Amino acid sequence: MTWGWRVAKYTWPEKPTLLSTRVLRLDGPDKVAGRARYTYDINRPGMIYGRIVRSPYPHARVTSIDLAAAQTAPGVKAVVAYRNPGDEVHYQGDPVAAVAADTEERARDAARLVRVRWEPLPHVSIEAQAMDAAAPKWSTTQENTRPGVRQETGNLETGFNDAAHVVEQTYSTHVITHVCLETHGTVCEWDGDKLTAWVSTQGVHQCAQGFAQALGIPQANVRVITQYMGGGFGSKFAPDSQGIICAKLAKLANAPVKLMLDRKEEHLDTGNRPSAFAHIRAGVSAEGKLTAFDGRSWGTGGAGAGSNFPLPYLYQFPNRKRVHTDVYINAGQQRAMRAPGHPQGCFLTEILMDELADRVKIDPVEFRIRNAPPIAPNAQWIKYFQEGARRFGWEKRHPTGDPTPGPIKTGMGVSAHLWGGAGRGSTAHVDINPDGSVVVKCGTQDLGTGTRTIVTIVAAETLGVPMNAITTEIGDTQYPFSGGSGGSTTAASVSPAIRVTCTDALNQLFAKVAPTVGVQPDDLVAEGGRIRGATDASKSVAWKDACKLLGTEPISVDGKWQDGLSGAGTSGVQFSEVTVDIETGIVRIKRILAMQDCGLIVDRLTAESQVYGGVIAAINFALYEDRLLDRVTGQMVNPNMEFYLLAGMSDVPQIDVVLNDMPERGVIGIGEPPTVSTASAIANAVRNATGATIRSLPLHPHKVLAAIEQQRAGGTN
Amino acid sequence: MDHLTSSKLTSGVHCLNIRHKGMYVTSGPYPEELNFYDPYDATAYWCVETQRGFGPDGKPVRPDMCSGDRECCRH
Repeated sequence: MTWGWRVAKYTWPEKPTLLSTRVLRLDGPDKVAGRARYTYDINRPGMIYGRIVRSPYPHARVTSIDLAAAQTAPGVKAVVAYRNPGDEVHYQGDPVAAVAADTEERARDAARLVRVRWEPLPHVSIEAQAMDAAAPKWSTTQENTRPGVRQETGNLETGFNDAAHVVEQTYSTHVITHVCLETHGTVCEWDGDKLTAWVSTQGVHQCAQGFAQALGIPQANVRVITQYMGGGFGSKFAPDSQGIICAKLAKLANAPVKLMLDRKEEHLDTGNRPSAFAHIRAGVSAEGKLTAFDGRSWGTGGAGAGSNFPLPYLYQFPNRKRVHTDVYINAGQQRAMRAPGHPQGCFLTEILMDELADRVKIDPVEFRIRNAPPIAPNAQWIKYFQEGARRFGWEKRHPTGDPTPGPIKTGMGVSAHLWGGAGRGSTAHVDINPDGSVVVKCGTQDLGTGTRTIVTIVAAETLGVPMNAITTEIGDTQYPFSGGSGGSTTAASVSPAIRVTCTDALNQLFAKVAPTVGVQPDDLVAEGGRIRGATDASKSVAWKDACKLLGTEPISVDGKWQDGLSGAGTSGVQFSEVTVDIETGIVRIKRILAMQDCGLIVDRLTAESQVYGGVIAAINFALYEDRLLDRVTGQMVNPNMEFYLLAGMSDVPQIDVVLNDMPERGVIGIGEPPTVSTASAIANAVRNATGATIRSLPLHPHKVLAAIEQQRAGGTN
Repeated sequence: MDHLTSSKLTSGVHCLNIRHKGMYVTSGPYPEELNFYDPYDATAYWCVETQRGFGPDGKPVRPDMCSGDRECCRH
């Protein structure tokens, strides 16, 4: 092991023993055996159960709320009104009141006894409806649209004059919900004026702030615990209304309350990815260089929330103009969802790219190489297009439209993406005890991505001890501050903090050990469970014996993230091969190749898992998920996991992940980028297979068939 | 080039109760990203007091809404 701090105080080792290897998740056995306790599994003595009463209407005014019948129902311990007469609700599922009872069943029964009188108001449920000047308003005080500012670069007229070909089409993506396997929810318990909350959250410290500010209590009085959680994807950063309601019910009932949302509530009121539409006119020169982009985009983030996304995405249009309009409808509001905006912008741009490539009769990979940003550490697309094409067998791709006889057509597609993934700000604490045990504490949380494992890897690597010598404590506000886990920032925030803290602790141990070993502290290294001279390995002491020299006082060190151990900017390219049954419209994905970088890989296994997870999530986005609202009633017609479709095991194809090691860049997050470009790679493969361009997600069979029919009529290209 | 909608919250202009994810993650800067697309704002906002995307007055939480003389605004 090389101790880089002799050159620069904190660096990553040049020859690591654990970093970048394939390390199994430490909590895997606990999860498989059911020992891992998620928020849903928390049961406190005397605990009761909360239930929220929600609006059945997409738009209505509350005229009265009568809690009397609910208050006297069997087992009921607390009832609260969350809204007042005269208040307006803006979507199905808008919270109105809540109850807590001694069993979940009694809580549900009591919730049905809360009598709310409503004045239904006109609603709008789809974007086109809302954009009609004569449409009802989503709110009695707000307009249905909010036009954005015109963005313009270069000279559009010149760009189109330089174009040999022009494509003009409308592209779109749909609304999907987060579908966290563990629903949002909280267990709240008061001890006098102190609140302990077990929350399914992406940020324990951030959630504590939210509780404190919403409840008007000192943050010091709030403890938030999240030992395990089943996914958040951007939707779990705050206590949310259900968290505050849970805390209020617990205070009122003087008992711990568990309030976990059910699947319907999850679909209606915990966020979604906004829709995205764009009417685009784009030009390309005879040489295959992009010349002009003129886009008018819109989308909905639900009731009063924005819907913007990057457009055009990644490729270099020197002359471009765009205007975006937010459209508001009576539906639950959007929240950040795994790479906010990027999957939408990527899809809209990448389908256009294939259409432009066909116009100039250039292979889509070559066309992208001609128009991609130049290669840089954070911009490896050209390399990935070339290397990926070789690995994938792109040379076997046929031109648009599989000429093979029969109903099953095969096609290949490609797409590219980027993300930031930079971290900062995490803090940590480490104790090296006289008995040789090590405890690392960090107030981060593990969303299921492997944070607990990577914290332990970094600590063990730095201290030169086996991973089982480290006790890692995370997921609790009693541990040092760390940021919320979002934006692919966790690995890049936490890993440096652990490295710095453990390095400082080890240096203190070196100072204690040096006289015994007979080597200056600066010439000591720790590896293989021993501390030894860097140049004379015969001068050494076992880790446990070294720690005995501490006597009765452990080494106890606080540290924080420092610059130089992490980086920013990742790039990736994905290839997809599909089959399409042109008689049924059913798309099957045969394989996907994901080329991806994330700087220094901490745990190769969990980094690859991030890519698998991102790709599978995007397969759902491309082929299955769709939040369907009935335009007449404004109701979501599939608020469940029966008709809200997700890929099953047999729908997941072979996924090959190629991680580009770039240790010199430091740690960069990888949670978001792999989910960005999959859907467009699939859609482009469907286009290559069928010859029909499907410009709108999801690629449901009826859409595929309609596009093929339109193509046969001479229409889609 | 102008921003479509600004994600920046300005002290003294915007309500102190407005929140978004970017305020809760310890994200480092990535200035080069604007080499690959123009600025955009995909942010979901919420009110720290209500813990929802609507303020105490029932109106949406957004920078363009959460400023000035809106009654529930806290400066």
